[in-house]
Amino acid sequence: MKRLIIILIGFVFYSCEDEVSIDLKEAPSALVVDAWINDKAEPQVISLTATQGYFNSEEPRGIAGATVEVTDSKGNVFEFRDNLNGKYTWDPTNVAEKIETVGTSYQLRIELNGKVYTASSTLHRVPTIDSLKFTFKEEQNVFQPEGYYGEFVATDFRGQGDTYWIKAYKNGIFLNNPFDLNIAYDAGFNAGGNIDGFVFIQPIQDAVTPLNDDLDAIEPYIIGDSLYVEIHSITNEAFYFLQEVQIQTQRDGGFDEIFAEPLENVSTNIVDQTPDLNNKVIGFFNVSSVSGRGRKLLE
Amino acid sequence: MNSGRQLILFSLLSIFSVTILSAQEKITLSGYIKNEADGEAMIGATVFVEELSTGTSANIYGFYSITLPPGTYTIQYRYVSFSTQVKTVELTEGQRLDIELVTESKQLDEIVVTSEALDANVSDVEMSVEKLDIKTIEKIPAFLGEVDVLKSIQLLPGVSSVGEGSSGFNVRGGSVGQNLVLLDDAPVYNSSHLFGFFSVFNPDAVKDIKLIKGGIPANYGGRLSSILDVRMKEGNSKERSISGGIGTVFSRLAVQGPLKKDKSSFFVAVRRSYIDILAKPFTNDATLFFYDLTTKVNYDFNDNNKLYLSGYFGRDVFRFDERQGFDWGNVTGTLRWNHLFNDRLFSNFAFIVSSFDYGFSFGENDLDKFDWNSRIVTYTFKPYFNYFLNTNNELLIGGEATYYKFRPAEAVGVSDGQVSDISLDNKFALESAVYVDNTQKLSDKITLRYGLRFSTFQYMGPGNVYEFQPTSPGERKELIAANQVNGRESIKTYYNLEPRASLRYKIGNGSVKASYTRTAQYIHLVSNTAAPTPIDLWTPSTNNVEPQLGDQYALGYFRNFGGGNSFETSIEGYYRDNKKQVEYVRGADIFINEYLEGDLINGDGRAYGVEFSIKKNVGNLNGWISYTLGRSELKTDGINNNEWYPTRYDQTHNLKLFGEYQITKRTSLSANFTYITGAPITAPTSRFTIQGVTIPYDYFNQRNNLRIPATHRLDIGLKWLPGKPGKERRVNDYFVFSVYNIYGNKNPFSIFFSQDQGRVIMGDQVNTLANQFSIIGAPVPAISYNFVF
Repeated sequence: MKRLIIILIGFVFYSCEDEVSIDLKEAPSALVVDAWINDKAEPQVISLTATQGYFNSEEPRGIAGATVEVTDSKGNVFEFRDNLNGKYTWDPTNVAEKIETVGTSYQLRIELNGKVYTASSTLHRVPTIDSLKFTFKEEQNVFQPEGYYGEFVATDFRGQGDTYWIKAYKNGIFLNNPFDLNIAYDAGFNAGGNIDGFVFIQPIQDAVTPLNDDLDAIEPYIIGDSLYVEIHSITNEAFYFLQEVQIQTQRDGGFDEIFAEPLENVSTNIVDQTPDLNNKVIGFFNVSSVSGRGRKLLE
Repeated sequence: MNSGRQLILFSLLSIFSVTILSAQEKITLSGYIKNEADGEAMIGATVFVEELSTGTSANIYGFYSITLPPGTYTIQYRYVSFSTQVKTVELTEGQRLDIELVTESKQLDEIVVTSEALDANVSDVEMSVEKLDIKTIEKIPAFLGEVDVLKSIQLLPGVSSVGEGSSGFNVRGGSVGQNLVLLDDAPVYNSSHLFGFFSVFNPDAVKDIKLIKGGIPANYGGRLSSILDVRMKEGNSKERSISGGIGTVFSRLAVQGPLKKDKSSFFVAVRRSYIDILAKPFTNDATLFFYDLTTKVNYDFNDNNKLYLSGYFGRDVFRFDERQGFDWGNVTGTLRWNHLFNDRLFSNFAFIVSSFDYGFSFGENDLDKFDWNSRIVTYTFKPYFNYFLNTNNELLIGGEATYYKFRPAEAVGVSDGQVSDISLDNKFALESAVYVDNTQKLSDKITLRYGLRFSTFQYMGPGNVYEFQPTSPGERKELIAANQVNGRESIKTYYNLEPRASLRYKIGNGSVKASYTRTAQYIHLVSNTAAPTPIDLWTPSTNNVEPQLGDQYALGYFRNFGGGNSFETSIEGYYRDNKKQVEYVRGADIFINEYLEGDLINGDGRAYGVEFSIKKNVGNLNGWISYTLGRSELKTDGINNNEWYPTRYDQTHNLKLFGEYQITKRTSLSANFTYITGAPITAPTSRFTIQGVTIPYDYFNQRNNLRIPATHRLDIGLKWLPGKPGKERRVNDYFVFSVYNIYGNKNPFSIFFSQDQGRVIMGDQVNTLANQFSIIGAPVPAISYNFVF
């Protein structure tokens, strides 16, 4: 949605933008739980880190010494072991228990310094990607230059309330700029849109062709590029969380500022079993089914 | 409830009927007051009876009526910068006396210029009211040299906006959606062109502007914060005239003249911006422009019946190629019939249509596209009776009924030829009100104005009715039931009694005024952006969204100084208390969202402040200083730890200076200076990373906790009439040279926090920074040429 609007706001009158230095309030750090796991046959990682000052660009500090485990409604236990830097890993290869049955619910339990944090999620269905397409388009305008535009074709399941995160990889690199964040509620932008059981709406399909680094135009694919698209099923809560992340991180500046929403903390589904104002916890736990498809752009 | 309403109205009317009886043996003098030059009605022109030291003033249609005991009177007709006209009238029977006033610059023999002071600001019961005539507005140096009504009112005390070039305006700490903007009685749902750089009001077509910030009379209602009543010119009924201008951004042309001399006249004004044409070589098919048409026709059937038809049509178009873009605009139409039942009972019946819509189009071809638009359409009927009971009482009685049709989204997406219509259902509502209002002179010292407005709102079918269940405060409410209503039945009805009262008490050469206003607002402008935009959504009160209610108390002292009251000063304090202001939950989605009501929550608002004003209206050097010390806050469950927080338009200090100096007969210099405390914004304390995305975080969970730097700016303008002194030119023309923001201050609009641009490979360091954005960061020179012939 935001992506549509920023394309519109390319006009500049007499505006200007300058980096400024600001003294922000000092704050204690909070525990951050980054727990997005899926049914792919590769090591699954849950990271525990600490928040840091806003202008501090160092790698987030990992939190070691926690016990992290996920149990499912079938009684399986997945132990995530601390390898390095607060990254707790569970490897599905060569073990009997799997993340695989749609409808299974999962509980995350973290024990750290005598405190217990929990969260829950459910594995939902994910549609397959029928095809990836590249279409050569003439220059439409300054924001949509000539070149190959990628899109994926997939159809949302019938029945309201399926939510997805669509991830795109260009030449093997995950497109993780805030403006690349592409989520869908059924086949549309939100629950109220009521687009159920359709092919994903055009702006969602198109979003696998990223913006350029300056975020002022779309960067089409060139011959030889590869595109890999994954659809991750996510819970409705995770969808709303990511929608809030979009609002908070897609700040392009310029005239987009007129349309900008005020800064606000994003939600969390991590529950502190002994809530405590001096030891805050934030972050998100979600379990996804993943479908994927790749294609290389050839002559 | 219905019988309760009748009881209240009846008892109010019976109070007045006593005074009606006692007024029987008196005689009425009435008529219209017009401008001699062009026949335009003179709103608010005063009528003063020397012998009795009493008087009245013309209403918004220029009609006056005064009832006196039989006798011979000397009557003065006055209007600012017009010569006072004095008539000796022998009143033995009801008399109609239409008056034409002449501007001061044209001295005629029969005119007697009296030394009697014009002190309406002190002697009227009206307070918290700002009036600007178009002549003053034209003198204010403007952005890109284009005179603008909404930018001009922001130079007055208590009025502000969230930043340069932003849409709308804020009055006494109220939000943009809490202002009722009327153009010839028609509500205007979005008053901006080009995202807010200009307003929809073509200055060539505007006759009179009145902004009511407090002490709102009972004949107005429907918004909490203010009423901006803009009246269009009727058109010159004496002779044909063509006026216009060529400016940096747009050109204007207006034609007016009589259709039948002194009986009927017309007015047509058009504007179109042309930056798109100038920029064409650089922007290919991309374009950004606006145009508007303002027109009015009126006809005097006879002394007792007049008909006015006025309309506005305007559109902004923003395209980035032939198929894709964004556009928005207003359409209004007003048909009014003035009828005099007798020399003391004036009536007006207005039929009004108003609509605002916006639309987006995306997609390269018909197989892959996304079209989306949204609209509000309203139909209003307003009967209005102005009863001049006697010299001491002037009564307004009337009503208002508005039928609303909201079309939140009509959206069709086509993906690979598969069409999905994701339009939302329309919503319907009926808002109505009846009111009675009396202005009563108790003595020379005391004037009272009191009234009561009874308003109702029905949210009605056909449509979907949703029930939500609250979750934790500040979070999205959960949908628990949905029902369909097919007929035009009422889904939810609200009622409110809105008492209004003002008092003026004269002390020496000054006066003290006090007022109380209760207002109810049934439709809400939902915006989740920092600044108002054309895509903010009007939405009705429903079974889930309650009406907003506001109380305002104001107290002021008014005093004039100098010979001929050359200095007008005032100090006013106000306190506003609002309930059920509409806020939204975290992550609210206001577009194409069928369950929008679940994302809206209620909060309380309060605003208070003191306004100081000094004006000099006469002489070679004139202008004003206005200063407001104010605060505007909100309190909403789930936001800011449930504590009060400042609104985005909370401005502690707001100082505006405007001055104009007539250097020679043909040259005048003007300047204005603005200083405003920086807007509050929300700043993070920390950041964290989820799935490679760096997210800002405020550990303390506060709202609007940081002030951006204050803004200040100086604009200057020079008006120059070409030609030689004493030599009459065929064309009455002038040039305006102006520089906006002459010292090029980079006034911050916002400070925003984001990660450095560019794509970061997972695991690499991410830089986050703060950027200050200024909409205008340089001096903006402009020149325009204006003419009348």
